[in-house]
Amino acid sequence: MNSAIKLWCWLIALFLFCFNLCTHLQSQFQAIEYARHQSDNFFNLLLGDSSRIFANSSYVEADVYYHSGYYPTIFDNNQAFETPHMAEDTGAVASRNSGEETGFMGPPRDWLDAFGRHFIPNRHTHLDEGGPSDDLSGNSKVAEILPWLKLSSKLDPENIQTYLVMSYWLRNNLNQPQQAEQVLHEGLRYNPGNPQLLYELGRIYFENYTNTDRARTIWEAGLRSWAQEQPGVSQSERLKPDNQNFDDRFIFEQLQTHLAQLEGSLGNLQAAIDHLKQAKLASPSPAEIQKQIDELQQGINILKNSKRASPE
Amino acid sequence: MSVILKTEKLRVEFKSRELGQMTKVALNGLDLEVSTGEVFGFLGPNGAGKTTTMNVLLGFVQPTSGAASLFGIDVRQPIARQRIGYLPELTYYYKFLTAEELLRFYAQIFGLPRTEADKRIEETLKLVELDSARKRLIKTYSKGMQQRVGLAQALINNPDLLILDEPTSGLDPLGRMKVRSIIERLKNEGKTVFFSSHELGEVETVCDRVAIISNGDLKAIGRVPEIMQNYPTLEKAFLNIIGYKE
Amino acid sequence: MRNIFAIARIVVLEMYRRKEFYVLFILTVIICLIMGTLNFFNDKQVVRYLKELCMLMIWVSSLIIAITMTARQIPAEREQRTLLPLLAKPLSRAQLIFGKFLGCWIVCGLTLICFYAFFGVLSASREHTWPLLNYFQAALLHWIALGVVVAISLLGSLVFAAPSSNSTICFAVVVTIMCLGRYLDQFAVNLHEPMRSIVYAIYFAIPHLEWSFGMRNLIIHDWPLIDWAFIALAALYFLAYMSVFLVAACLVFRRKSVN
Repeated sequence: MNSAIKLWCWLIALFLFCFNLCTHLQSQFQAIEYARHQSDNFFNLLLGDSSRIFANSSYVEADVYYHSGYYPTIFDNNQAFETPHMAEDTGAVASRNSGEETGFMGPPRDWLDAFGRHFIPNRHTHLDEGGPSDDLSGNSKVAEILPWLKLSSKLDPENIQTYLVMSYWLRNNLNQPQQAEQVLHEGLRYNPGNPQLLYELGRIYFENYTNTDRARTIWEAGLRSWAQEQPGVSQSERLKPDNQNFDDRFIFEQLQTHLAQLEGSLGNLQAAIDHLKQAKLASPSPAEIQKQIDELQQGINILKNSKRASPE
Repeated sequence: MSVILKTEKLRVEFKSRELGQMTKVALNGLDLEVSTGEVFGFLGPNGAGKTTTMNVLLGFVQPTSGAASLFGIDVRQPIARQRIGYLPELTYYYKFLTAEELLRFYAQIFGLPRTEADKRIEETLKLVELDSARKRLIKTYSKGMQQRVGLAQALINNPDLLILDEPTSGLDPLGRMKVRSIIERLKNEGKTVFFSSHELGEVETVCDRVAIISNGDLKAIGRVPEIMQNYPTLEKAFLNIIGYKE
Repeated sequence: MRNIFAIARIVVLEMYRRKEFYVLFILTVIICLIMGTLNFFNDKQVVRYLKELCMLMIWVSSLIIAITMTARQIPAEREQRTLLPLLAKPLSRAQLIFGKFLGCWIVCGLTLICFYAFFGVLSASREHTWPLLNYFQAALLHWIALGVVVAISLLGSLVFAAPSSNSTICFAVVVTIMCLGRYLDQFAVNLHEPMRSIVYAIYFAIPHLEWSFGMRNLIIHDWPLIDWAFIALAALYFLAYMSVFLVAACLVFRRKSVN
């Protein structure tokens, strides 16, 4: 009996010691800024930096699903699949695809290969274009890529492309702007002030909710973020045509053109022209932008003339 | 009386595990004949070749040379075993089956029609006193019960020749008595029993003829009184024949 | 044939009374049901990730059952000395081999029926469609491919000493064929002789189990039915390999000492 009581006492003492140690270490753990930032992400805690490898696999798996399983492996010709089509279609990324995307397998190498192709996905299809059964009535099936994109975003929260692709499909194809908005907010939580995410968010407010004030605020915040991204580099330097960072110029142009569109829709033509002039600095087609500027300027002149004429 | 078990110059060699020796001769030209209705005892010290002989007769082992036949059929043909029953020394059967299921399975292998199989199962389970435990899984049986299941499966097809490998090994006196009574009963029914044993007292009582084998060679064969001539007991005769000197 | 069916029945009975199938089935059900509770943007119709997970579990479980069950058959009989009373009956060794094979193959078939039924219910709960013919094609070819796996494992159980080594080698071989079998000829192109010829020979000699394995993508992504002629040809191809491995097993077992 004596030994049993002793054992219980030791057990309780050990428990109390462990509990005290935990509470002591918990506060120290939370004091580390990086740990606190990462502590709410289970995958980062579990896998550390290697979660990025899995994130990339999940991202590619989403593209596999987009093609209903028809996808090259490392043994096939990957030239036409270097940029995932589901992202390429959003217009958010520049395409690096080249080569024949419908026939990456090439001609059958032998009778075994020819016969075996009947048992695998063997046609190039997209989920939003009917899929393998060419059923356009079910084009909401593109939602099937979302679980993999969601997993990818959890594994690598700092990859903004995942959020952009998710929000595009939710908003444009699945008609769920609220879900798209939530996705972008989550992306902004891990990538505060990212101009691409702010641009997409602004589009939701402008195109889906027609909340022009909010959209303007967000896009202007996007422009400020963009300016602060590379503090040592001037805007003119960043917008030079020979600057290899296409995405940097692209997002600046998109923000400016959409602000111009917003102001134009509200009748603020001069503000629209100012934004278009900025956009022209980054645009690969400045002539087109100039045309729009000229049209708006004409509009302003017409308004001025009509105002002069009306008091009389 | 016809010969139902016959070996002719049966020779079995195994690859030896001993250094300097390529092969081990387990049987060296064994000539043996067993006639219908006999109870034949096959005796020998450990490692003499008794089990090897039985393994050849049952098709478990291929002979190096020579021939063996059962009912005039070469032992390599499965049909040679249609009319035999075999009880191995160590009795293990499918633990996930009941006794009844096991016997039904073996009855199917023998090709017994369903009604006859039911009748034989009933008779053999009663004979070995396992009627009350027929629906229990074999893994719940005691050792004695498992040995009785072994005897039941050896008798399921009402065999004309019963091959028993040390049937009383590990049994208590009551179990040994029951096995003896079954052997005597089979003899009275005109069946042939071929068995190996170390229990020379039982062999003396039950057997018509015996063969004594040692180091793969047949040392003696004949009726029990002939073997025991000049010796007070079969044990003394056995020891002398295999060359044991005190 | 009677003896073969009798032995097959015993194998099925054994698997019915062992617990392995139930454990794997319940594990599959639990994992799939847990994954099915995940919410992706309130879209109840998202189902392909679940189908993929379920299919993967089905393939893994069926391979585990096929290989471990078969690898154990003859060695366990030998170890537990149940082989001797069996071979003492009027039963040829070839009948024993075919009986064991048939029993294991039937068990695989029954297992697949349960797994595919669960898969059908799981996908129908979201898709509200039941493409029975597609499932039947996939299940049929899956079952026939498992027959080849069972035959390989049975041959391995006669060649390798321990069931564990046999199981490991069979798993490694089968999984390698399923993942890389299609691409061996592409490997070969980049090699020098004589390795190139050896790899080419292996490519043409191995049973291409990846045809059956690849069909799960067709089920997951709702591809149309495959022409039945191709299914029939693939079935014949696998049956031919089954026969080859079974005949090899009979030849190996014919002269083997069993005591």
